[in-house]
Amino acid sequence: MTSVDLMALMPLLILAGGCVLVLLAGAIRPGGYLYELTCALIIAALLWSLLIPAEAAMPGLAVTPFSRFFGFFLNSAGLTVLLLAAGYNRRRGIVGEEYPATILFALAGMGAACAATDMLLLFLGLESFTFAFYILVAVKRDSSKGGEAGLKYLLNGTLSAAILAMGMALVYAARGTIRLAELASTNEAPEPLFLAGGCLILLGMAFKLSLVPAHLWTADVYQGAPSPVTALLSTASKGASLAALLLLLPIFGAWHGLHDLLWLLALFSMLAGNLAALVQINLKRMLAWSSVGQMGYVALALVAAPAGGVKAAVFYLVIYAAAGLAAFGAISVLSNEEECEVIEAWRGLGYRNPLVGAALAVAMFSLAGIPPAAGFMGKFAVFSAALRAGEYTLAIVGILSALVAVYFYLRIVVVLYMKPSALPDEPARRLDLAENVALLVPTVVMLLLGIYPQPLLKLLEKILS
Amino acid sequence: MLADCPLLTILIFLPLAGSLLLLPLWGREAAARSVAFVVAAGELALTGWLYGSWRGLSRVPAKLPGYLLLEDAPWIPSFGIRYTLGLDGISLLMVMLTSFTFCVALAVSWNAIKERAVLFLTLLLVMESGIMGVFLSLDLALFYLFWEIMLIPMFFLIGIWGHGRKIYSTIKFFLFTMFGSLLMLLAIIALHLLHAKQSGEATFALNELLHTQLPFATQLWLFAAFFLAFAIKFPLFPLHTWLPDAHTDAPTAGSVVLAGLLLKTGSYGLIRFGYPLFPLAAHALTPLVYTLALLGIFYASLVAFAQEDMKRLIAYSSIGHMGYVAIGIAAWSPVALSGSILQMANHGVTTGALFCLIGMLDERAHTREIAAFGGLWGKIPLWSFFFLIFSLTSMGVPGLNSFIGEFLILAGTIRQSPLVVVLSFVGIILPLIYMVRLVQEVVFQGERQPLALSDLSLREIAILGALLLLDLWVGVHPAPLLDMIHLPVQLLTGGAA
Repeated sequence: MTSVDLMALMPLLILAGGCVLVLLAGAIRPGGYLYELTCALIIAALLWSLLIPAEAAMPGLAVTPFSRFFGFFLNSAGLTVLLLAAGYNRRRGIVGEEYPATILFALAGMGAACAATDMLLLFLGLESFTFAFYILVAVKRDSSKGGEAGLKYLLNGTLSAAILAMGMALVYAARGTIRLAELASTNEAPEPLFLAGGCLILLGMAFKLSLVPAHLWTADVYQGAPSPVTALLSTASKGASLAALLLLLPIFGAWHGLHDLLWLLALFSMLAGNLAALVQINLKRMLAWSSVGQMGYVALALVAAPAGGVKAAVFYLVIYAAAGLAAFGAISVLSNEEECEVIEAWRGLGYRNPLVGAALAVAMFSLAGIPPAAGFMGKFAVFSAALRAGEYTLAIVGILSALVAVYFYLRIVVVLYMKPSALPDEPARRLDLAENVALLVPTVVMLLLGIYPQPLLKLLEKILS
Repeated sequence: MLADCPLLTILIFLPLAGSLLLLPLWGREAAARSVAFVVAAGELALTGWLYGSWRGLSRVPAKLPGYLLLEDAPWIPSFGIRYTLGLDGISLLMVMLTSFTFCVALAVSWNAIKERAVLFLTLLLVMESGIMGVFLSLDLALFYLFWEIMLIPMFFLIGIWGHGRKIYSTIKFFLFTMFGSLLMLLAIIALHLLHAKQSGEATFALNELLHTQLPFATQLWLFAAFFLAFAIKFPLFPLHTWLPDAHTDAPTAGSVVLAGLLLKTGSYGLIRFGYPLFPLAAHALTPLVYTLALLGIFYASLVAFAQEDMKRLIAYSSIGHMGYVAIGIAAWSPVALSGSILQMANHGVTTGALFCLIGMLDERAHTREIAAFGGLWGKIPLWSFFFLIFSLTSMGVPGLNSFIGEFLILAGTIRQSPLVVVLSFVGIILPLIYMVRLVQEVVFQGERQPLALSDLSLREIAILGALLLLDLWVGVHPAPLLDMIHLPVQLLTGGAA
């Protein structure tokens, strides 16, 4: 390993080493400045990946513009979540060093998944952050809902890991290599063994991205997990999974079945997610179902991959992540001993907590795809790609299910601003600086990308070429 | 000098900047009201100045024929979206109507909105920016953006300060308009892609897309999506059902803006984008537009006759009046189109005034039931005077503005389709019936309930007086406005300039 390799790998090393450091620090001084330390470590990783454009290729891992972009994006999400979690965990009595350490571990795993060049490291990366989430989802040990969610996630997750591993094994058996580049470069007609493996890989990835039919865990886990964890699960974990899927897709070559499978995943995710979200009375469940629908749009962009859909998918996901962070962030800061998750409990809160209300409202407009929030630009990119690829049916189904989605997103805005407050007129809790930042940043990002998305689009063109 | 100053950008963003000025005034309502009104009045002055100088501007050779001012800058090159604004006679008329209507809306809600007044003012100013953008955009994607943005403030306006079933109404309003808009978005993107395939240039610019050669079937599909979006806003029968609810439950300022401006964005879109982009499809669907418009005229008039709520009655009358605008557009002859465009402004003034009047009465009596009133002529003569005049306008009495618009529409349509004109003439009688009933029951007749009512205040007289002046001006001397829209109408209908 040369010094350049070391420089390039440094963000990952900071995260992985930081994880151990935080665990040790917690053992020496329990309840010390662990969250501050963790934030500093993530910021260090962020700054490093931003300021030092080192690239490197090693066996199994390659630090490329692609992986650096995703690393930056995932670490920003992780940082936001940590800012939210500090206050939230204090209020809900989640103590201990394992929480921040596990988040660092998850971020390291995600970073590895985005930088993988063979299936083994890809699998390791994916499963390490999923493993971290098994812990994080159930981190509030006295909560029965959290326990239930943790168990459901564990069972579903191990099943999907098994499917993914089986798929990779079959692909290896068929082609005799695990290197992604070699798998992508062969021009052989796909043989049945390879296709079986490919389909299993796709199914495993559908689980990670909550695509129908592998979405059933989503609502329960999102609801049962502590809100900051849900925020991370619904944004960074989806981002890393998309990056992994983008690394895997080239191995299918020109196999047309891939298009058909993605087509079905997109269609059913858009329909099922948006229709099921209609009837939810719990905000976290609603957001969970809606995220199934949102991932449907990402899949729609992937269907249109030959027509510039990959760029649209990543663009869409970044915007979706900003909205997810703001929405789950709003729930986090309003949760005291209990999660503030029943929709009706938010009545009139837009006036009581203007920033929280505004963040949630902008997130809803963004998810609904209404300008000037960024979600509109995301939908614009996705539908442009879909129409360019000639996917008329899917585009029309998508736009009509987006109309359905407008209804349930607006319902939240209605509750926030148009229904009389149910709460006594006691002054709202003042948010601390970290919470303000964690809500403001995604909101501002949503508005900026909604008005001027050109820089991000240009960056994506560069890293995906 | 003029070319250097981005007047159109200022026109769009001045209200938005004004709404930011209101933020430090949160909680100080009197000051915020004054600031908001000054901003709106400044906008009105700017459009007034543009009106005063349009002849001078038209002598400067323009890059696009017919346009007085143009601005163009790259915005999102990756999507091919540009920031292109243009002002021609038609947009100028609409922009004047917009800035005037917002002054009226601010003035009429001066005392009516007490709760969260600063938020109310902020939303009104944001909406003014959005609507200005709709009337000035020449890039389809930019147009769509403004088209959506203007909905959000209205959604809040009805939902927060409305009456009755306000939440139901505002969601219905939003979903109806979104339904049409989303399909139009797909059509816009499809048109963009077809154009890119033909010319190799990825653009949403209207003047480029106008040159796209489209087969008839494609035109029909794309036009159907555009038409749906615009017909919902218009609203054309049977897509009108959101309108009575939204108009009735909105606060007065909301109703004034809805009737005065949001409906006009539909007709404006059809004139600016729908017909010019897809001439073959538009021509083929003309009978359908005629039919829907006539059905709307008859149906809305009959339903209006049965209304007990004055505001709902006026809301239904809007559907009828906009039906004439649709007929004039469908005829697509210079005279009829001029009539339609003029009638858009007229309807904004007249219906806006009627909604103001009913709002003022509602503030005093806390009811809008026709059955609650009677003999108002003796009790509040000033109010009754204005109500009578604007009702007469709504009936299309000569000397007042609606007559001019309707006359031009029918005169311009008669060569295209005499049958439609004959039926429309029958339709013109119908407002007479329901408006006469309304005026007779409310203004004349004996008093039915002892209501203690005070007559109009100076502020209210000023609002209505300004509206009346416009009404009379267009009714007696419409020539300057017709001159202003003459060239763009000729260019649109393919006549010689």
